[in-house]
Amino acid sequence: MKRNKLTMYKVKDIGGNYLFLLPFLVFFCTFTIGPILYSFFMSLHRWPILAKEHPFVGLDNYRALLKDKIWWQALRNTLYFATLTAVTTTIFSFVLSNFINNLKRGANFYRFVFYTPVVLSVAAMGIVMGWTFNTQYGIVNAFIGLFGIAPVNWLGSKELVIPSLSLASVWWGFGGPMIIFLAGFQNLPSSYFEAARIDGANNRIIFFKLTIPLMAPSILFIIITQFIAHLQVFGQSYLITGGGPGRESYTTIYYLYQTAWRYYRMGYGSTIAIGLAVIIFTITIIQYLVGNKRAKVEY
Amino acid sequence: MKKKIDKNELIVHIFLMIVAVFCLLPLLFCLKISLEPSRFAFQMPTVRMNGFTLENYINVFSRQDLMLPNWFANSVLVSTVLVALQVSVVSMTAYAFARLKMPGKEILFSVLLFTMMIPAQVTMIPVYMIIKNLGLLDRFLALWLPGIANVFGVFLLRQFYSTIPGEFEEAAKIDGAGKFRTYVQIMLPQAKPGIIALSIISFLGSWNDLFWPLIVMNKLEMRTLPVGLTVLNGTYATERALVLAGAFVAILPALIVYGIFQRKIIEGTMLSGIGGR
Repeated sequence: MKRNKLTMYKVKDIGGNYLFLLPFLVFFCTFTIGPILYSFFMSLHRWPILAKEHPFVGLDNYRALLKDKIWWQALRNTLYFATLTAVTTTIFSFVLSNFINNLKRGANFYRFVFYTPVVLSVAAMGIVMGWTFNTQYGIVNAFIGLFGIAPVNWLGSKELVIPSLSLASVWWGFGGPMIIFLAGFQNLPSSYFEAARIDGANNRIIFFKLTIPLMAPSILFIIITQFIAHLQVFGQSYLITGGGPGRESYTTIYYLYQTAWRYYRMGYGSTIAIGLAVIIFTITIIQYLVGNKRAKVEY
Repeated sequence: MKKKIDKNELIVHIFLMIVAVFCLLPLLFCLKISLEPSRFAFQMPTVRMNGFTLENYINVFSRQDLMLPNWFANSVLVSTVLVALQVSVVSMTAYAFARLKMPGKEILFSVLLFTMMIPAQVTMIPVYMIIKNLGLLDRFLALWLPGIANVFGVFLLRQFYSTIPGEFEEAAKIDGAGKFRTYVQIMLPQAKPGIIALSIISFLGSWNDLFWPLIVMNKLEMRTLPVGLTVLNGTYATERALVLAGAFVAILPALIVYGIFQRKIIEGTMLSGIGGR
């Protein structure tokens, strides 16, 4: 009897704990779990937003997606943009943070300056970079003009539009990875570097033979998270180029936006969103597996 | 030996200074145009200022068709309230996941982590339908409700709550404090660094967000600052100085916040792990 009472008390006690989760779970189910499942459901239907009925079409939307030239072009542009931006950002921020880390003074100043563009919204960044790359009045062309180079149509040419948007995005975002690398450098064992110096290794050897291998896990982590983040690029296309010239700077999310909120095709829009999610999910899993393998090798 | 190191450091300083100039130049150049009489906006960039005026800022604030004061107030309201709602819900949840006995919480937590791997865009069409059917388009609730259950925030604060020694809870229990009181008065204050970091990360995230407010806030007077800027940029492309003045109205508060909370923001970046975008 006494024992029973105790369990009763305990059950009540633990039951109360769940109340702490209740508000979160209500919002989590309504705005995350539910919509994820519902998105699959919608992708199996033809769903113009104003229609009363939404006929079930099976996998037709997915078949259409695989044959959709605009989707493939948008995906190609997105992958190109994300690869270029992730690689450039990672290399640039790694090299800079290595320099900053070795400074005796002024490190905080550079850290402050290089992080500044990160606090801009994509809208503000888009306006500033749009004018910076402007063919007639932009400072990029004014600068190369100093060396006698004729103005370049950065945002209006098929070949240059993605590299230009990528460069603008590197300018905007490299401060973030730089901070993470700087923190990583602080955790490196200084004894290795002292030993290398005593053995007479110069800066270049230390950088390539010691710093890079020791930082390899961070580098890999940054490059993949950057890649995933930039696969979700939207604002740059929406604000700076409007997807142009032609569809040369269409990105997957820009196409999703057009499909769902310009043409109000919610079913096909869901299919596009899931297509992108599958790609991002796969990369995340690879990152997880690679990360785990690395952790096992090293410790 | 010593001299040689100094020479190396000097070269590095020169290099970093050049990068710093390139880093700030686009901003400074746009700031310069916004402070010059608008007739100078369409000419090749010059280093020298062509006069000084605040007319573009006065224009961008007073134009009836722009509603910049509204957008600014909307952004402040949206971000502040969202952070308050989100942090209070998320912190309680994180505390429960870290400290309270609940059968099945590990499974629940892995569900949370799983959803972190799915990009937000998947949920946007269904969430839009929900918001639309509830009649919440063009209402602030459309920006608040979907933002409350921030899984990343739970993940972040759970780590903070896990590190607090158990003696605090025991002492509170012995003193007769109930569970909720223990949480609010004893545990919450201990997670303050985490709460501040999360508040800053999610404030900046919300302040800078473009996609979601672009979709759900269509009325001109209900737009947030980033969405307003896209209107400004699209409609007034021929009035460059005006557009740039508008951009700086959005940029300056972010820069001021950054200047004041520099250390906290940078710590927040490290905690969030992904380094901004």
